[in-house]
Amino acid sequence: MLSIIAKDIHVEFPIYDPRMRSLKYSLGIKHLAKGISRIATRNLNIGGQIGAGETGRIVVKALDGVSFEILEGDRVGLVGHNGSGKTTLLRTLAGIYEPVGGAIQANGRVFPLFDLQLGMDPDATGIENIWMRGKMLGLTTKEIKDALDDIADFTELGDYLYMPIRAYSTGMALRLAFAISTAVVPEILVLDEMIGAGDAAFLSRADARLKTFLSRTGILVIASHSMSILRQWCNKGLLLEHGKMVAYGALDEIVSLYQSKVATAQG
Amino acid sequence: MLALTSTQLASAVDDLRAGLSSWRLSHFLAWQDVKQRYRRSTLGPIWMTLSFGIQIFTMGFLSAFLFGQELAKSFPYVCAGMLLWALITQTINDGAGLFVASARYITQIKCPLTVFLLQTLWRNLIIAGHNLAIYVAIALFFVVVPSPSMMLWPLSLLLVVVCLSWMALVAAVISARYRDVPLMIANIITVLFWVTPLMYFPEQLGQKRFIADYNPFTHMIALVREPLLGGTPTLNDWLVVLALTVLGWTGTFLFFARFRSRIVYWL
Repeated sequence: MLSIIAKDIHVEFPIYDPRMRSLKYSLGIKHLAKGISRIATRNLNIGGQIGAGETGRIVVKALDGVSFEILEGDRVGLVGHNGSGKTTLLRTLAGIYEPVGGAIQANGRVFPLFDLQLGMDPDATGIENIWMRGKMLGLTTKEIKDALDDIADFTELGDYLYMPIRAYSTGMALRLAFAISTAVVPEILVLDEMIGAGDAAFLSRADARLKTFLSRTGILVIASHSMSILRQWCNKGLLLEHGKMVAYGALDEIVSLYQSKVATAQG
Repeated sequence: MLALTSTQLASAVDDLRAGLSSWRLSHFLAWQDVKQRYRRSTLGPIWMTLSFGIQIFTMGFLSAFLFGQELAKSFPYVCAGMLLWALITQTINDGAGLFVASARYITQIKCPLTVFLLQTLWRNLIIAGHNLAIYVAIALFFVVVPSPSMMLWPLSLLLVVVCLSWMALVAAVISARYRDVPLMIANIITVLFWVTPLMYFPEQLGQKRFIADYNPFTHMIALVREPLLGGTPTLNDWLVVLALTVLGWTGTFLFFARFRSRIVYWL
């Protein structure tokens, strides 16, 4: 059974002064730059907490002791204001960031879909891009081969597929990227904001494809600022604040909790 | 700071193993890089070979005049040497920019870092393959007969590439953290060019021959160059490169294991 289990995960980002990015400087002078230690004492309203990390470096605590369990069939919407840790949590789920503390275990193949056009080369043809983007997404040669017809069918690009995508309109390129990304139904899908497929004329077909794609995936985790999108796709919500998990439960409760917090803050 | 846990070692082994087993992706990315170079010039593949040819043409004459050698001796020598030198230095220089150049991929998808190391190695080997055409032309023109030690040539090339791979990986990891390192590496390589027997023969250094003998690049180049020229690499060449590979990879592996999970945070 598919699941994601996070136990007390901590993710910290080191902050480097430009001088600390220089080996010549770091070899010569003590590591801690004064300019940075000053901001450590300030409290910030948004973003993760800033403090000294385990080795005394200045770090942003992007995730601070987050624990949860996501099971097969769950559709989880991440909510929280900018800098609350949503994107960091998604990338940690995807295995991109390894937590400095705690443990996260994903049972199932995690498929992060953050940038639809990642791995696409404007000088390469549509077909070449299908291969490149497909390989980048971790699809097997067989999976890509099987998906080729379907992608050609769906995008209606025809002979354009044999032309460099530099010649495509923005909408055409996006359609291609969208078609490749949704060609194989993943076990665990991780999205940062909802994905879309470009021009309006295409929208109803894209919607249908998206619906199939999202409903077939075993687990969906999506971060969004749009409550209507979350209401449409999710049944659970997870509220983050300053890198800490405030609440996790039924979506409606989480959304109203979040909205009341926003209202209070605007007071 | 330098303490290593068994998890870190295991994850590093996993990274190398997963990277090697998805060699198709590296191959694909490397070819895409090469094709991009073709596209940017009307002459396509010929352009890369041609620019190397012009360089060899100039250096061959220069070496003959400056160091008083016959053209029939200097041309194949310079060409075979520079073929290797270009492979080695370009791989190390590319290595220094490796993770930074692939930052978009590394921060967006979960992908073994080894994939990008293999991409760099393979791209530079493909380019060296193009340059080999110039050597073949020169060897035919001056009737240079490769020696029977060519039997071991694949092995010596493999050893040099494996040795080169740890150098590129170390450069990659340090350069991800310290952004002034690629420039330092480029500077060091420029200096090394003059103390490596490429334009002159080691014997011509006379009493100062130790300069070449203590330079590991001398041996890496000799190992692959000598069979091409009809000579045989010395046992010393083999031992030096073998020791450098084993020691280098041991150190590099521990270093990589320690910092692997941090690299994404540095980008």
